[in-house]
Amino acid sequence: MSRTARSIALLTVLVSLLVLAIPAQAQEMEEEAIAPAPCAEPGTLTMWVWDEAWAEIIGNAIEDWKANYCPGAEVNLEVQPWGQYWDLLKTNAASGDLPDVFNMSQTNVFFYLDNGALMNLQPYWDEYGVDTTIWGTGLVDPYRWGEDNDLYAGPVNWDTIAVYYNKDMFDAAGLEYPTADWTWDDFAAAAEALTTDTIYGAAVYLEYQAGYPNWIAATGTTPIIEAGRTACTLTEPGSVEALSFLKGLLDAGYMPTPSIMGGASADDAFNFWASEQVAMITGGSWKLTDALNNVAFNWDVVQLPRHPETGRSRSILHAVGYVASARTAQPDLAANLILYLVSDAGQTFFAEGGNVAPANPSPALQQMWIDAFGDTNVNIQTFVDATVDSQGVTVFDEIWDRINSELVLNIFDLGVSVEEETQAACEFIAPYVVAEE
Amino acid sequence: MLPNTLGLLFFFGIPVLVAFYTSFQEWNAIQPPVFVGAANFERLVRDDAFWNALKNTVVLAVMSVPVGMALSLSVALLLNQRLPARNLLRTAYFLPVVTSIVAASIVWTWIFQPRYGLLGNLLAPLGLRDVNWLTRPDLILYPVAVVTIWLRLGFDMVLFLAGLQAIPRELYEAALIDGANRFQRFWHVTWPLLSPTTLLVMVLSIISAFQIFDQVYVMTSRTVRGGVGGSATTLALFLYMRAFTNSEFGYASAVALVLFLIILGITVFQLIVQRRWVFYQSEGE
Repeated sequence: MSRTARSIALLTVLVSLLVLAIPAQAQEMEEEAIAPAPCAEPGTLTMWVWDEAWAEIIGNAIEDWKANYCPGAEVNLEVQPWGQYWDLLKTNAASGDLPDVFNMSQTNVFFYLDNGALMNLQPYWDEYGVDTTIWGTGLVDPYRWGEDNDLYAGPVNWDTIAVYYNKDMFDAAGLEYPTADWTWDDFAAAAEALTTDTIYGAAVYLEYQAGYPNWIAATGTTPIIEAGRTACTLTEPGSVEALSFLKGLLDAGYMPTPSIMGGASADDAFNFWASEQVAMITGGSWKLTDALNNVAFNWDVVQLPRHPETGRSRSILHAVGYVASARTAQPDLAANLILYLVSDAGQTFFAEGGNVAPANPSPALQQMWIDAFGDTNVNIQTFVDATVDSQGVTVFDEIWDRINSELVLNIFDLGVSVEEETQAACEFIAPYVVAEE
Repeated sequence: MLPNTLGLLFFFGIPVLVAFYTSFQEWNAIQPPVFVGAANFERLVRDDAFWNALKNTVVLAVMSVPVGMALSLSVALLLNQRLPARNLLRTAYFLPVVTSIVAASIVWTWIFQPRYGLLGNLLAPLGLRDVNWLTRPDLILYPVAVVTIWLRLGFDMVLFLAGLQAIPRELYEAALIDGANRFQRFWHVTWPLLSPTTLLVMVLSIISAFQIFDQVYVMTSRTVRGGVGGSATTLALFLYMRAFTNSEFGYASAVALVLFLIILGITVFQLIVQRRWVFYQSEGE
């Protein structure tokens, strides 16, 4: 066989393999990431959520579960508003009366895991054949516990962070709109150019999820505390560099103090931006609906700027979870409901509802979530892209106020130096750090 | 009588007994409680955060009670006169009492916001537009005291008004015949005969000041609960955070018990000392 003939034959085989492989891959894509299963025995469950909008979506999903997977089951779904959710949960835990199934956040789960209040869902994931590694580590790692890293929660959603910017203000300043490859230097230059007598260029340093930890993560440093609570990282060079960069923007007059914004929360920054007093803020994917419905000016979102040396744009990733009480009288039924709610079928209700991005990684569901916003002229894909290089953060009740707001206020409101404040914060965290085994 | 007694027993007596019992336990709400004797009280004595909260509470009481009483008495004296739209003014002054503390505190938070707040703009000519009232540890108790006084003024005013209206007219007429001027009528008739009401207002105001919680919680919720470095943490907020943030329900119960004893002590002291300055009308007859 001549060399040409051999090449043609080889090419033919390769093309044939490729053609054969494509349908197989497509078939894989069409397969459900997580399939629901029929329940063994119906019963009655209580379930708590903290969000009215979520309750409506979850209520619809539960109706589908009851109709198709667990006829005869009943779920008493109750909304306990966020402002009292955690106090009520603790009070109910004290009286041994936790709901069978309830929403849990990554920032609060440690206490309940540490005290054995949650049911281990790992045996059920195994029984139902769910590969828990399909969820990104940032989504589920805080919900893992014990020597075997068992997964105690089914993740509901993912949230990532991006920069929301006012396009009209960029136009007025004669600036090009930012792109995903912009750097911290570009961000600082834009903040400077956008700042006027009545408008601040940027506001970004607020609270753990949408604020300064994203910038620390971009340096390659784990924000605040290492996973497993083994060390405080706030005094590490990456943390000091990120906080100093943001402090520099404040000192130059490009950013307002938290007091001027009326508070240190991400909502305060968002409201400040929505009232056209600042051009750029960092905000979460959960604010998309609010922005689309209520913001009157032209705006868009872009990925967080890249660190000039690491080249990384990193978003803090967060997921709410469904958990079950360790003392539920119906563990099998509770696990079956959670399985359904995180399955492709259950998560379709979230994807179609917009607002909340489904944790289930099925590409079809992710696209459904983007499409649910309709024709918006906003680059919603930015938030999906931000999941690629994202970072979970370890936080827990005892250090929450200290790292979420007190550190921010001390540095950005009260003029304490970054070095002094990070040192003080690490000293505060020290009693909660556990020795690495 | 019986329903009231049962209600008091269930909703006050039993919780107090449970708090007393819990104060001798270490309990995080999920694990079974463990008896630790007086350890929670020993810890409390050594806990700087507790003393800081006690100091803040006392400072707030000192800032808000005398000023609040003076203001409410002044308003009561004013609204006890024949004024146009007197009832409307009385209603207006009483409105904060029936206003949600949370809603009112949110509005006050906006008033104290630097740069865009009402106060900052009023004080702008003095160069005080950008004062961080709600984050500066040296300033934060002032806004809290202002809101506390504002919230309580109407209630104390009504008590003083009732006291003023119980003073017999003939005493003022007799004083007038004796040639007493306005100040003398106040000092020799109104003040002594109002003293039982003043005692009541003082006792209630001090009890209320030692229980300040809502306004601090709300006014610092957008920054740091209890203020930077605990600068606005009151005893009530301190025990709440120990219970619901740190899950130390035994320790929080010990703080609650100490708070109860402090309030009881101050109240008993006031009732003992009152004999020296409170004048009851029946005594004078």
